[in-house]
Amino acid sequence: MSVETFVTDKAGLHKFYEAVMASRETYAPVEKFGKFDFKRVTRLTECDPESPIATTQSIKPLFFPRSAKVMKYLATSAGTEVSEVDEDPLAVKRVILGAKHCDARSLQVLDKVYNWDYIDTDYQKRRENTVIISTRCDQAGTHCFCTSLDYDVENLDAMDVVIVNGADGKIYIKARTPKGENFLTELNTEYRILNIESQMSEEDKYGEMKKQYESFTGSFRLKMDYKEVNAKLSKIFDTPEFENVSGNCVSCNTCAFVCPTCHCFKISDEKVKDTGVRYKSYDSCNNGYFTLMAGGHNPRPVKYRRWRQRAMHKFVYYKERFGENLCVGCGKCTIACPVNISIFEVVNQVSSAAMQE
Amino acid sequence: METEVKDQLVSIEKPQLIAPPNWEPVIMGILCNWCSYAGSDLTGTSRIQYPPNIRIIRVPCSSRVDPWFLIKSLQTTADGVLVSGCHPGDCHYISGNYYARRRFLVTKKLLNFVGFHEDRIQFSWVSAAEGPKFAKVVNKVTEDIKKLGPLHLYKKENFEK
Amino acid sequence: MNYTKQIQEIAAKLFAEGKIDVFVGYRMNGFDDNQVPVLITGPQEVSRLVFTDKSVFNLVNYLKTDHTRRKRVGLVVKGCDSRSLNLMLTESQVKRENLYVVGICCEGVVDDAGRKMQNCTECMVPDAVVSDELLGTPSNIGLQPYAVNPDIAVLAEKPLPERAAYFEEVFENCIRCNACRHSCPLCYCAKCCIDQETATLYNGANTTSGAFHALMTWSLHLAGRCVDCRNCEKACPSHLPLHLLHKQNESVIYENFQEHLAGVIPGDRGAFYKYSMQDPDDFIM
Repeated sequence: MSVETFVTDKAGLHKFYEAVMASRETYAPVEKFGKFDFKRVTRLTECDPESPIATTQSIKPLFFPRSAKVMKYLATSAGTEVSEVDEDPLAVKRVILGAKHCDARSLQVLDKVYNWDYIDTDYQKRRENTVIISTRCDQAGTHCFCTSLDYDVENLDAMDVVIVNGADGKIYIKARTPKGENFLTELNTEYRILNIESQMSEEDKYGEMKKQYESFTGSFRLKMDYKEVNAKLSKIFDTPEFENVSGNCVSCNTCAFVCPTCHCFKISDEKVKDTGVRYKSYDSCNNGYFTLMAGGHNPRPVKYRRWRQRAMHKFVYYKERFGENLCVGCGKCTIACPVNISIFEVVNQVSSAAMQE
Repeated sequence: METEVKDQLVSIEKPQLIAPPNWEPVIMGILCNWCSYAGSDLTGTSRIQYPPNIRIIRVPCSSRVDPWFLIKSLQTTADGVLVSGCHPGDCHYISGNYYARRRFLVTKKLLNFVGFHEDRIQFSWVSAAEGPKFAKVVNKVTEDIKKLGPLHLYKKENFEK
Repeated sequence: MNYTKQIQEIAAKLFAEGKIDVFVGYRMNGFDDNQVPVLITGPQEVSRLVFTDKSVFNLVNYLKTDHTRRKRVGLVVKGCDSRSLNLMLTESQVKRENLYVVGICCEGVVDDAGRKMQNCTECMVPDAVVSDELLGTPSNIGLQPYAVNPDIAVLAEKPLPERAAYFEEVFENCIRCNACRHSCPLCYCAKCCIDQETATLYNGANTTSGAFHALMTWSLHLAGRCVDCRNCEKACPSHLPLHLLHKQNESVIYENFQEHLAGVIPGDRGAFYKYSMQDPDDFIM
């Protein structure tokens, strides 16, 4: 695969963004009520694709929306008739601007579960039709810990197109996947907005990027050895430490709603007389009703058991089944949490306390 | 009753949306069993005519009306809601309508605050002997809501106009 | 405002005397100068407790969780928190004899950016109204004229379509995580009505109309009981201005029904649980 590099400057980058917005349906971080979230945009002035502030929610809602129609039905005494829902508004050809590495990365994690025993065709369609364009991070946030997890942060293949600020003051727009490459070629033939001139050799550029990475990985406050944590957690299901770490949790479910990798959902019907619509909406394992069964039995009736499930699913069960942690280290849950509980601290505290016993 | 056909009737909350021609409002009437429902009965038996836009639901008492009855009505078919109960002091359960009165005021003001026109939520006291008053009330509510145009706020799936 | 030392001493004394099983207070969150709630189960952890003007969260919320149920609890309350505790006591949710309440004469708390919280600038009850021990000097500000929240005054002036559009945006941004409800000390129902699976009654789907339904129902259930501690707003990941709904209800109730705020008078129930013959009637035909 030949990876083409487009070199441009700041003004060229803005032109590039505008060309992207003109060519396809575009989603980018938009400020609303003092926080950023991915919204449909048509002009560069509406959004901030290079916002250093992480969005409250990741790009997950664009692939797994907070509420999606599954089907419509008509249930009468004569029988039940199921009809398809209207066309999926998220399955059109579109571009996401300003996604962080963790956002893009979370889709690779989610791909595994969505391609597992049941292939979610809706998700597949949305995924296929989306090009993710992203600026590489150069500074870690307070709650970021992506470098501590089991993937190579230097591997940018999760993004289709990546924008890198080069050392020579130039901005490099690189395609990382065939999808991204096709998109860039198409864009360039249609709009001709980029001056394609590469002064630096491939090696120089990569060398420069490597150097930047070192300063980037050095800026992390939170660091852990995920292998150790994975190994310890899998042995300490019964530790009472879970009760301590979940003490000040208010079970508000926000962590799961903003998490880029949480994918649990509930099914609810909106019914009027004979007709109805079935929805698939977010749910959270921190919710007391999450495991409540018909008949009243609840296998996880208390908070610490629900927290244990959350931590174990992220760092043990998913790892066992799919070979990856169900966490990308974005820290969105800690930012959204009203009492700042960090999944990082929870797994570390639990695993280290269990070792002392 | 002939109403004047206006050229462009718009929804008051969303002036960019124009009502379809010959649009008729749907009004949810929530009536207390002991006074207002009997009152509406009397209107019928007295052969007093009132608009057919109202759809009546009978409840035991006006204090049975949880504010979400109003919210749900407005989110589904209704363009307006009328809640009617016994006059103060006449409640079959002694004090039900006094409790209801407080809730009504707060609900009305809150719905108005979030963008519903205040005439979309109306209340009345109608006793079992007030057949003509009930007809008058329904006439007024229907007239009011016809002026406001169709409601387009927060409609549920299948109810979007 | 710094009562760290006093609170640590009180907590140590209570554990030593065996009066409590759990102490609910604040600790530093470990990465910046903000604080988070902490539940302390033994005297060895007492040194983690702090209390300054960054102690924002309403701790009464923890009285409804598994960790404090059927236990003797020590608890720190500010003025607004104590009002919610008062209401919980009135509504028989906690037993007074199981609680040891450390009341604070609050001078106002600040948000993450260091600004005084809006509810503190318009606070009418800064001193704790329920307490076993009161820290600080009571301000004794007594009855004050009620001032309508400035945000509400501004919105109420706007024309109807503009207001409707503003609130449509608010409800559209709600992700229905229900954090507002879970972080509210007065939302203690074991099963909330907006979580019912019965599809025909409440709207379980995570749509804008569902969010409207849920938030309106929620705010009306709290009308006359909300103490304006703003736990909901702090918990909301979408930063929605939820106080607007509550302050609107509060202003209507204050102007029409009662001359005091919710939870100020011990044993006084919410405004919807009582009535007066003199309640306004002019809006009813």
